[in-house]
Amino acid sequence: MNPIIIDGLSFALPLLIIAIGGIFSERSGVTNLALEGLLGFGAFTGGLCFVLITQILPMDSAVAFYLSFLAAALGGCAFSLIHALLCIKLRANQVISGVVINIAAVALTGFLTVQINTLAFAGASNKFLLTTAPRFSVPFLCDIPVLGAFFTKLYPFQPLIVVLAVICWFLLYRSRIGLRIRACGSNPQAVDAAGLSVGRIRLFAVAASGALAGLGGICFAYSISANVSPSIYFGGGFLAIAAMIFGNWKLVPTLLACLVFGFARSAASQLVLLLKMDSSVTDLAMIVPYALVLVLLVFFSRNTRAPKALGEVYDKGQR
Amino acid sequence: MPQAIIELRHISKSFPGILANDDISLTINQGEIFAILGENGAGKSTLASILFGMYSPDAGEIWLRGKKTNITSPARAVELDIGMVHQHFKLISEYSVTENIILGDEPLRRLAGIAGLDRKAAGTRIQELIDCYQFDLAPDALIEDIGVSSQQRVEILKMLYRSAEILIFDEPTAMLTPQETERLLAIIRRLRDNGKTIILITHKLEEIKLVADRCAILNHGRLIEVFDVASTSTQTMANRMVGYELNLNIKKTPPNFGRPVLEVSDLTVYDALKVKRVDAVSLKVHAGEVFALAGVAGNGQMELADAIAGLMDVHSGSIRLKGEEITKTTARRRACAGIAYIPEDRQQVGLILDFTVSENLMSKSYFRPPYCKGPFLQTKAAARLAEDICQRYDIRSAQGVATLVRSLSGGNQQKLIVAREIEAQGDLVIFVQPTRGLDIGATLGIRQRIIAERDKGRAVLLISLELEEVKALADTIGVIYNGRIAHTAPASEVGMKELGEYMLGVRK
Repeated sequence: MNPIIIDGLSFALPLLIIAIGGIFSERSGVTNLALEGLLGFGAFTGGLCFVLITQILPMDSAVAFYLSFLAAALGGCAFSLIHALLCIKLRANQVISGVVINIAAVALTGFLTVQINTLAFAGASNKFLLTTAPRFSVPFLCDIPVLGAFFTKLYPFQPLIVVLAVICWFLLYRSRIGLRIRACGSNPQAVDAAGLSVGRIRLFAVAASGALAGLGGICFAYSISANVSPSIYFGGGFLAIAAMIFGNWKLVPTLLACLVFGFARSAASQLVLLLKMDSSVTDLAMIVPYALVLVLLVFFSRNTRAPKALGEVYDKGQR
Repeated sequence: MPQAIIELRHISKSFPGILANDDISLTINQGEIFAILGENGAGKSTLASILFGMYSPDAGEIWLRGKKTNITSPARAVELDIGMVHQHFKLISEYSVTENIILGDEPLRRLAGIAGLDRKAAGTRIQELIDCYQFDLAPDALIEDIGVSSQQRVEILKMLYRSAEILIFDEPTAMLTPQETERLLAIIRRLRDNGKTIILITHKLEEIKLVADRCAILNHGRLIEVFDVASTSTQTMANRMVGYELNLNIKKTPPNFGRPVLEVSDLTVYDALKVKRVDAVSLKVHAGEVFALAGVAGNGQMELADAIAGLMDVHSGSIRLKGEEITKTTARRRACAGIAYIPEDRQQVGLILDFTVSENLMSKSYFRPPYCKGPFLQTKAAARLAEDICQRYDIRSAQGVATLVRSLSGGNQQKLIVAREIEAQGDLVIFVQPTRGLDIGATLGIRQRIIAERDKGRAVLLISLELEEVKALADTIGVIYNGRIAHTAPASEVGMKELGEYMLGVRK
């Protein structure tokens, strides 16, 4: 039981922060299918930052570890500006823009990783090797039966994500910018009539989604493979989109969806271990969360309530 | 001596194909209700949009409080204490009244250095305003849960919250029932008595007569004249507005009933939420008869019309057209069998807004010659026919029959639907709220058209919320209350008072 919770949580929380990124963007009215690409680019900049700093500092340096998170957020944010530029300023189709960014991110990060490794580190590898993130357990709390697993073998980024998620909740539902972001996703004309700039609010929301997705990307890089490689594009961004939709674009239900996906995934891999199946079956087991998406879609699609102006290019002139 | 607050000097504004405002100069005084009157498309809304900074004039100057001012954006207008209630409300339906009002000007409260919304302060401020103007609104109610007139009061509160001194109302009563209109006019008076300056844009003469101090008349973008409302008769205003002598009375010959065209018996209809909307309704409409269904909104009349036209499923009962059972046939079958339908919601049901005039005119007959030949649409023939129809029905558009219907004014959109339905040459024409939102000229035109159809021997089912319209046009009046026909009688045998009592369910 414990491994299911421990592994499930370490998968669900990065997923959550990416999904929250999606919520920011989509609640402002900008469809964001680019989460996958944004998390990959964030992981890339984070990984690059880590390998550069560890040229000077030792591999297990905490400074390099934490700076890589900052770099991932900045990288994701910067890359998301392309989406913002296309969707807000140039009024491009938001779905196409998202898809293009996903493709571009895969190509760009793969190319740059190999080039940088060849030029700077004299090896044509397509990976940035990271350190294995230190894990810790919360004293006393981790000794509670069953629930203690929620406080056992945590990655340092897990509490960070929880804190960030609370801040994001406050921003979305209790702050001025949140009120404005959600208004943009529902009726941009009303926002315009209130004398606010729809474009600027959406820019902020998309940038925030990029930063959060980037952060989620580097978390996955540390927890899943301890490196940044093309395998970072395993579909986490799309899973986050699904979680956001099941969560009805609301933060708390999205958290629940992420937990369901996380536990489904860890339960599947535990099952493979338990039945002593071949390791190649593990890959198959990893599709469990996605299969679950399909099943859940059947039941929940009818009740979803997307932001009203989602995907709408805002045009002042239209009646 | 009244003090001028706004002075417009030689304002002109043109759009592709239209000169919307042509050299308009006028002065609006502090603390008055200034009405701007004109037909649909006379340039009233453009003028208001210029005042609110949504458009900038091509030529001319705006002087505000004695100073030349450029109102470059709505935000700038708000800074200058100008507020506007748009015809289509700008509200977030998932937000509460309070949230909608504070959006863009939110009070903040610091909590451990982080700025959060101060809902309490906002709530108090808004409650004060609600109490001051007796608005009867709950600050925490969601917009989607409150009615149109309440939503409008939210829009007014938005302006007051931003301490607007000049309030612009763009066609504020277009969506309101008569009772709601009365309330709104009372609020507008109260606002003036509190020192606000009101600019009221409307095409309804009665409203102007009731509240306005002065009135400017626009026609085809030009200012015709400005006059004192108290000393001018409604008839004079009407004539000036349309630019010719207008006969407000409809001429009607005695009816000549033929065989029954529409026979509805024991019809019961449930809506999507399984609520009974139409309850065992029976009625008969004969050739050459205008059967008018009067009633307060929401008593099942719209559902009845939809059921007859085939847009809503019938639970029980039957509908017969010229003796033939049509209860279970599709809407297209019924249209082909001779039911013409002018629905209440012209933009949602009656038209495809992003299609052209010509395409909308053939949207009910594109599958028949002359609109198609085999599998091919005959676009040229359709355009020719459309041009002819536009001319005969006086449908005005910027780029002829290729104009997108979205860009037509409301009056022209309505004329287009009426034209399409009448041209279909059906035996039964159902008019639902045919003159809603139309100016006096267009209203008269459509009313005359209804009588003309009757005189051609067609059966007309008229559903209207306006008692005056029912009285003017009907040969037979039915009153619908709570989904049931409360009373049916020849028009000459029922008085206004009696009708009102049936409509409100006082008399049974």
